[in-house]
Amino acid sequence: MNRAWYMRCLGSTLWPSFLAAAVASVVFFASIDPQTLQMQTVPDWNISRMAGYTIGFFMFWGVGLLSSSLTYLLSGGNSSRNA
Amino acid sequence: MRNQEKEVTADAGMYVAREKIHPREVKGPFQTLRNIAVIVLLGIYYGLAWVQWEGRQAVLFDLPARQFHIFGLTFWPQDFLYLALLLIIAALSLFFFTALAGRLWCGYACPQTVWTEAFIWMERLTEGNRQQRLKLDKSPCNSTKLLRRGSKHVLWVLFALYTGFTFVGYFTPIRELSVNVATFSLGGWETFWLLFYGFATWGNAGFLREQVCIYMCPYARFQSAMFDPNSLIISYDEKRGEPRGGRGRNVDHKAKGLGDCIDCNLCVQACPTGIDIRDGLQYECIACAACIDACNGVMDKMDYPRGLIRYTTENAMEGKPSRILRPRILIYGLLLLALTVGVLYSLTLRTPLAMEVMADRNVLYRDVDFETIENVYTVRILNKDSQAHEYVLTVDGLPGARVITRPERIHVRAGSTDTVIARVQVPRGAATGPGHPIELQLTSQSDPAIQSTNAARFHGPDE
Repeated sequence: MNRAWYMRCLGSTLWPSFLAAAVASVVFFASIDPQTLQMQTVPDWNISRMAGYTIGFFMFWGVGLLSSSLTYLLSGGNSSRNA
Repeated sequence: MRNQEKEVTADAGMYVAREKIHPREVKGPFQTLRNIAVIVLLGIYYGLAWVQWEGRQAVLFDLPARQFHIFGLTFWPQDFLYLALLLIIAALSLFFFTALAGRLWCGYACPQTVWTEAFIWMERLTEGNRQQRLKLDKSPCNSTKLLRRGSKHVLWVLFALYTGFTFVGYFTPIRELSVNVATFSLGGWETFWLLFYGFATWGNAGFLREQVCIYMCPYARFQSAMFDPNSLIISYDEKRGEPRGGRGRNVDHKAKGLGDCIDCNLCVQACPTGIDIRDGLQYECIACAACIDACNGVMDKMDYPRGLIRYTTENAMEGKPSRILRPRILIYGLLLLALTVGVLYSLTLRTPLAMEVMADRNVLYRDVDFETIENVYTVRILNKDSQAHEYVLTVDGLPGARVITRPERIHVRAGSTDTVIARVQVPRGAATGPGHPIELQLTSQSDPAIQSTNAARFHGPDE
């Protein structure tokens, strides 16, 4: 695993999913207050709004990462790509 | 030997191992412009967080309270449209400037470029110029190397941490935050985001650098779609430069059949992405113009005219005229102008007041006395203005209807919310059966233009 390959792999999975997660978080939390969400789903779990935003952001990132990784894998990203 | 090694790595189905790029320091007008851009942009980033406006932080994205303060304006989640429009305007300006002047954004304004430049300054301060850094890379581990490397990393880490601190300072009031940092009483999430952003800065600007542009940046991949033969690019004048070759200062190179390029390689050494501009336009080129400055310096020394590498257009290179006004520019420009004017206009017309009306779900209606029926609503008032207001609630839609709030004049502080209970009373005969539409209207007492109307339903008994 050399470094340039590693960079490509991270660059085309971690990064796009990060961008998508940032956009998704903004849109999602602009219309939905994490505190309302918490009240309606897990009222016993006492977390702050900041925690809600953070968890939401990382959830979106995780989902995006999964999707990006599959795309990378299926499009043969590790062998044939050439910029 | 080196080439052989490279081939072996390539044969193994991998990529050529990256060598660390140490861009050479250049002097010239474009470098000065870049330095100014770095200082101004970083100055805004680090300074703006400390600016106060009417008793609170001027720019504060108060996520816990779900409101954004930008100088006199307060934005609520209901104002999401403005954020969306702002993003569209940002994207359109990127298209516009790319079509007009190429990758201006990449070379001068992109945070990746700006922070990388700042990190290179620190590197230069501790490890010296390009030659010294290359030598240091090769030198065995000794006390000088440890000291130089160590002090560089200390500077980098401190700078990155301060960057992370400032970042969090846009979401939590930075003055409180600095007190918390000083007293080691920082909250968990704040600590996390401070370290996360600090780490990202340190990694991106210290280590990844040009690789972010080459492997990670989506803009670098699609910017070519906005280019046309009239867009500004940085290009090497091949006709003038070739055949390249070394020569003495006072030699008539034209007699020897040489072009103006003396093959000194300074343009390659100055390039932060490590490309050779003489190979033609490449997507790795971030248009920072460092090679122009480097080459012009050499041209001056050789007494050749400047501009062997220069800002030009594809058309100009082929001897055709370049046009600034063309359909692409006009369309991007007009869209940009229309959107910007539209947003500014609607911002000035924006009513700095919003309310939500929720009917009491427990009781549909109450009998106040023999003549009167009452419905109860919870009214949430958002004062988006930068000053406090006193509001009065009125009702419309049913004959003889009146509304009672306690107090009658509802005082709401600037940029905050308040909730009042509103009791709407209607004569018994006027509202039979459920679901009569009514309108609740909230009006500021100091400025009657500031008002907001909400529809609601009034339920009466079925008699």
